[in-house]
Amino acid sequence: MSRKAKQKEGRRTMGRRTLLLGSGMVLVTSFLSGRLYQLQVAQNNRYKRLSDRNQFDLRIVPPRRGRLIDRKNRLLAGNAESYLLHITPLYADDLDRSLAQLGQLVELGEDDVTRVKEAARKGPSFRPILVRESLTQRELARLAVRSAYLPGVTFEKTLRRIYPQGALTGHVTGYVSPITSREVEENRSLGDLPNLATGKIGVEFALEPELRGQPGNERVEVNARGQAIRVFRDFDPQSGTDVQLALDIGLQQHVTNVLRRGQSEQVDMASPSVQQAIASDSDLKLHLASGENMLLRDPIGKITPPESGAAIVMDVHSGEILAMVSAPTYDPNMFTDRLLTRDWRRLNAHPRNPLLNRVTAGMYAPGSTFKMIVALAALEAGIINESTRHFCNGRMELGNATFHCWFENGHGSVNVVRALERSCDVFFYEIALKTGIQRIKAMANKLGLGDVTGIDIPGEKPGIIPNHEWKLATHGVVWTPGETVVAGIGQGYVLVTPLQLAVMTARLANGARAISPSLRKIEGDVEFPELGISESALRIVREGMFEVMHGSLGTARSHNLSSNQGGMCGKTGTVQVKRITKEQREAGITKNIERPWKERDHALFVGYAPVRNPRYAVAVVVEHGGSGSSMAAPIARAALQRVMEVNGEV
Amino acid sequence: MKSETVGILQTILRIPWHLLFVAGVLVVIGAMALYSASEGSWAPWAGRHAIRGAIGASMVLILAFINFRLLRIWAYPIYMASIVMLVALLAVGGDGGVARWITFGGFTFQPSEPTKIAVLLALARYFDSQPLERMRSVLTYLPPLVMTGVPFMLIVEQPDLGTALALALGSVAILFVAGLPWRYLLASIVLGVSAVPVLWSQLHDYQKARVMTFLNPGADQLGAGYQITQSKIALGSGGMFGKGFLMGSQSQLNYLPEKQTDFVFTMIGEEFGLVGNMSILGLYLLMIGGVLTISMRVKSRFAQLTCVGVGVMLFLYVFVNVAMVTGLLPVVGAPLPLISYGGTAMLTVFLGLGIVTSAVVHDRPDVE
Repeated sequence: MSRKAKQKEGRRTMGRRTLLLGSGMVLVTSFLSGRLYQLQVAQNNRYKRLSDRNQFDLRIVPPRRGRLIDRKNRLLAGNAESYLLHITPLYADDLDRSLAQLGQLVELGEDDVTRVKEAARKGPSFRPILVRESLTQRELARLAVRSAYLPGVTFEKTLRRIYPQGALTGHVTGYVSPITSREVEENRSLGDLPNLATGKIGVEFALEPELRGQPGNERVEVNARGQAIRVFRDFDPQSGTDVQLALDIGLQQHVTNVLRRGQSEQVDMASPSVQQAIASDSDLKLHLASGENMLLRDPIGKITPPESGAAIVMDVHSGEILAMVSAPTYDPNMFTDRLLTRDWRRLNAHPRNPLLNRVTAGMYAPGSTFKMIVALAALEAGIINESTRHFCNGRMELGNATFHCWFENGHGSVNVVRALERSCDVFFYEIALKTGIQRIKAMANKLGLGDVTGIDIPGEKPGIIPNHEWKLATHGVVWTPGETVVAGIGQGYVLVTPLQLAVMTARLANGARAISPSLRKIEGDVEFPELGISESALRIVREGMFEVMHGSLGTARSHNLSSNQGGMCGKTGTVQVKRITKEQREAGITKNIERPWKERDHALFVGYAPVRNPRYAVAVVVEHGGSGSSMAAPIARAALQRVMEVNGEV
Repeated sequence: MKSETVGILQTILRIPWHLLFVAGVLVVIGAMALYSASEGSWAPWAGRHAIRGAIGASMVLILAFINFRLLRIWAYPIYMASIVMLVALLAVGGDGGVARWITFGGFTFQPSEPTKIAVLLALARYFDSQPLERMRSVLTYLPPLVMTGVPFMLIVEQPDLGTALALALGSVAILFVAGLPWRYLLASIVLGVSAVPVLWSQLHDYQKARVMTFLNPGADQLGAGYQITQSKIALGSGGMFGKGFLMGSQSQLNYLPEKQTDFVFTMIGEEFGLVGNMSILGLYLLMIGGVLTISMRVKSRFAQLTCVGVGVMLFLYVFVNVAMVTGLLPVVGAPLPLISYGGTAMLTVFLGLGIVTSAVVHDRPDVE
């Protein structure tokens, strides 16, 4: 055969086979049409019945969500039965009359009625419309008696998420709210679940897969008026797993109280002088409008809102978090039902952002609490030893810049333990400069700063531990020695979260083991790897922290734990928020309490107890709280005192 | 020798307008269905669907001006690029999660969809270069098996069963038209059946559940049977003429999951009945018939095979989706072309039509 003929032959084959393929397609399509005919015409009556809800209504039964309990089995998040009231216009003879009748049996607002009428006007008549949520027992009883005379009215039992501790654990539990289309997009199998609520933040989000459980399904026999007669369960839903947290609600409550109160006294809201103060202060009005129910009288007699900030109590061996307080907070129960716009507006109007979890996502300069890191880095690098002394005359010159010590008269000649005890800035300027930012950063990373801790809740911030590369990448200019000096006292670019401070303190306390924080209760012992910091360096730094509380000149000597509780070690930190000019310094306007709140220093404290065999670490940040020693240290002591009382000595 | 180029007027005259018209009708039907799916509103689906349809149609017109011979040259590079994309996708989502989408700038894109086009182009290019006397040798069919097998495994790995099956069947159809001897065809069917256990082990749990549900609807643990049951109720209650636009109570009451994507055919069936469904099947047959007719008319072997491939691809979309919603196949997740909401599948269909258009416009016999 010639080439041409071959080609022709090939084309013919292809044409033939294409026709064959086409016929095959027509055949298959006929088959599909047959199937459609079978469903839609032959079995039409059967499916019509099913669809008219005259026989069975197949429903997915949402699973019971796993509960959250604290370390002593007290409920943090549970489920309560809740009843929804629906009306289906198709079955209701006269919607207006039905609504009027309902209004006599259950509480119905004017806006509820208009909403239902609007929905009935817009949507198809077979669609049930939600009339009311969370019916009370009494309303339910009244409805049940009359249900025969109320065509088209159905009520449905659902489980509603409740948080018995309310705002106290808001930032720990987080909250659930109705599933979003985005979540369905990510996990198609959720699309089958109507009315499912999923965790959006906090532990509820982090442990979602465990807490959710598996849906079941049931068939509901309905009569022609759309009312359920009988229910057949095909499959019971499988409840989600209950999870026990390390949190101790008693401690959480106590720490919340002392943090919010700070150094002030609670006032009687009804007294005329307080009412007068509220009337003349727009900031106070805002706080009260956003749901705040407590006001304080500060040491100079001014009426103020409660303090805001963060406090954490952690077990130094297991990493368990016994208390995690972020103030101000919010009530997670608000989110369970359809969030009322009013509540949402109030939350957002709050001047201090209650939705921000300050423990994990609040970033603060660590101030002097960073000095342990600098000391460790210098000791490990051999830059200093226990007896290396530097002379502090209240300032340090570098080039043409002057760096001041907080104590203007100067601390004199100090070694590392004394420098920690009295929080001498100049000593740390000197050794930071000699040690260099790279070694300081490495040590900070080792102790858990500069990266997320991996706690079980979302939204954690990594903070910033700067170095040469970071500066170049973010600011496009080189790192200068002056910046190392500032970083040496935990200011400048350095930013940490309170949670990181707690982790750092726990690692100092437990002999430099790499614990990580856990919101879950941990059964039995856990072993964490060593960080590889020498015992001698650690001992020196801990001695410094001991002297802070016990030394004659220790910055927090008046806030120590009693010796029969084993005493405590710690470190204060006071972080400038607003630079004070030379003129102001000379004029002596340095008293925090006399400055506007926004301009006051942040007060920080980290510590652990008991001194021998440390068991608990604590970190406290009070926003614009003034000084670390007078504001944050007492809060830390109160927390340690309580946790020691409750759990006793090992 | 005629000149290589085709003038603008000639191009416009040669465009298969009937195909575009049918596609347009299908997009309009889709937009109406989606309007109903969101309870009578252009948001969130219907409006965007219509806009995408317009963009897709203009894409076909642009492709008409692209010289078809370029596609032949680019067939292999395009194929390689799509394989690389699939591998990258697995590398990204390799933590047991489902990795089907690439997201950029709020736009999600499923690379496994256009991969079908890439594979059919590569196969057409391959058979085009084989001398006819080689079509009888078994060795000739080893490369196409590998060319299909690699993307197939990658897509199963994702796992996207619907797309993987469509890809495999489409390839077999191209081999068949290219002149695969009958005995090999039977052998490959046997091979395909024996691959089932391997595939099974690759599936995610929820997909296994869907297949099991399909085989045994009584034992339903996950609600996968729920979807099928609801789909059958909605379809079956539609009857001959349906309940009317916006009156599909099953669909409107949210008993029907995925009504804007995989189960849009069901919703149309409930609201427009058997008549509505059959009309849609008729439109698809018109479109596919048009494409296959073109395949028999074009003069070059490469063009012929490409057009057959596009026709088969369109048919498989329709078949898998309709079989799924009528409970003949497990729920694998397959869109209805030009009607389901979803950008990537629509893009793929228009891409296929654009290639067919280009094949017609720039048709020339193979150069000796």
